[in-house]
Amino acid sequence: MKRVLGFSFRNADLPPLSFEFGRRRRVLDLPLIIWLTVIWVLLWSTLTWANVLTGLVVSVVVCLAFPLPRVDLGLRLHPWGIVCLAGYLFYDMYTSAVKVTRQTLFGLPHRAAVIGVPLRCRSDLMLAATAVAVSNVPGGSIIEVRRATATVFVHVLDADRPEELEAARRQVWRVEELTVRAFGTRDEIARVAEPPPPPQLAAGRPAP
Amino acid sequence: MSLWLQIVDTAGAVLLLIGAATCLLGVIGMLRLPDVLSRSHAATKPQTLGMILVLAGVALRLRGGMELATLALIAFFQMLTGPVASHLVARSAYRTGQVDHSELLFDELDEQLTDGK
Repeated sequence: MKRVLGFSFRNADLPPLSFEFGRRRRVLDLPLIIWLTVIWVLLWSTLTWANVLTGLVVSVVVCLAFPLPRVDLGLRLHPWGIVCLAGYLFYDMYTSAVKVTRQTLFGLPHRAAVIGVPLRCRSDLMLAATAVAVSNVPGGSIIEVRRATATVFVHVLDADRPEELEAARRQVWRVEELTVRAFGTRDEIARVAEPPPPPQLAAGRPAP
Repeated sequence: MSLWLQIVDTAGAVLLLIGAATCLLGVIGMLRLPDVLSRSHAATKPQTLGMILVLAGVALRLRGGMELATLALIAFFQMLTGPVASHLVARSAYRTGQVDHSELLFDELDEQLTDGK
């Protein structure tokens, strides 16, 4: 006979910080419930006990009504990494917004290109987070993500000069490293600490 | 003290203006750039940046703890959902052949799609 209540530190099958209960083995993910409660309180924009309690009830009901598969997403929060990522994103947004603005206002002639950038991280969540972070920065917009090879395909506005292409690739790798350092597990961080894939894989075609 | 408040208020107003101007630039870029993919650059990113600047301006004028948290939530979801929408537009434009391949300098995605890898 199984226990009515099972905790993740006793049962390795469960995602971390979660517990299962009842005969139907429903899994409740504690960080998810806390996050949903935080959103609920923020939406009401007053911090009272009533709001926190109703938020908890609503998030538990939501988690039970729309159960998620019991997998470990591989999401870890590293506060310093998040600060670094946010700082870099804002800096990058600003500098490349200036660049894109110059291009649109003064109509500099440019040729666009689609480049494939192989990433080093392998988990789905890190792939998605990197793609979101890359496409928040002006100058690169994600067209396609290939999950099997962990390659993102980025549309680059000014691809005339090879050094611009190299810069675009390096930027994607840099964003990837910062993203994984902010949210990744230890394995993923070790993976992005290695240098990017060799240049013959990454090098762009010479401009005609 | 009131001088200090005035400075913060003015900074908030300036941020609001800059944010609105950034959004306007995005619209201009959308009108001027030639094709779908370039336009999606101009349509999504200056807009996100402008939105964040406007939110920062509002935050400087509101100065309340919970209001700041709500504004941060708005910025978070803006940054999370904007790229998804732009990616879907870009992807469907690419796959339905709205992209003029002769305009592109080169295209590493096309090779992989035709290779069937």
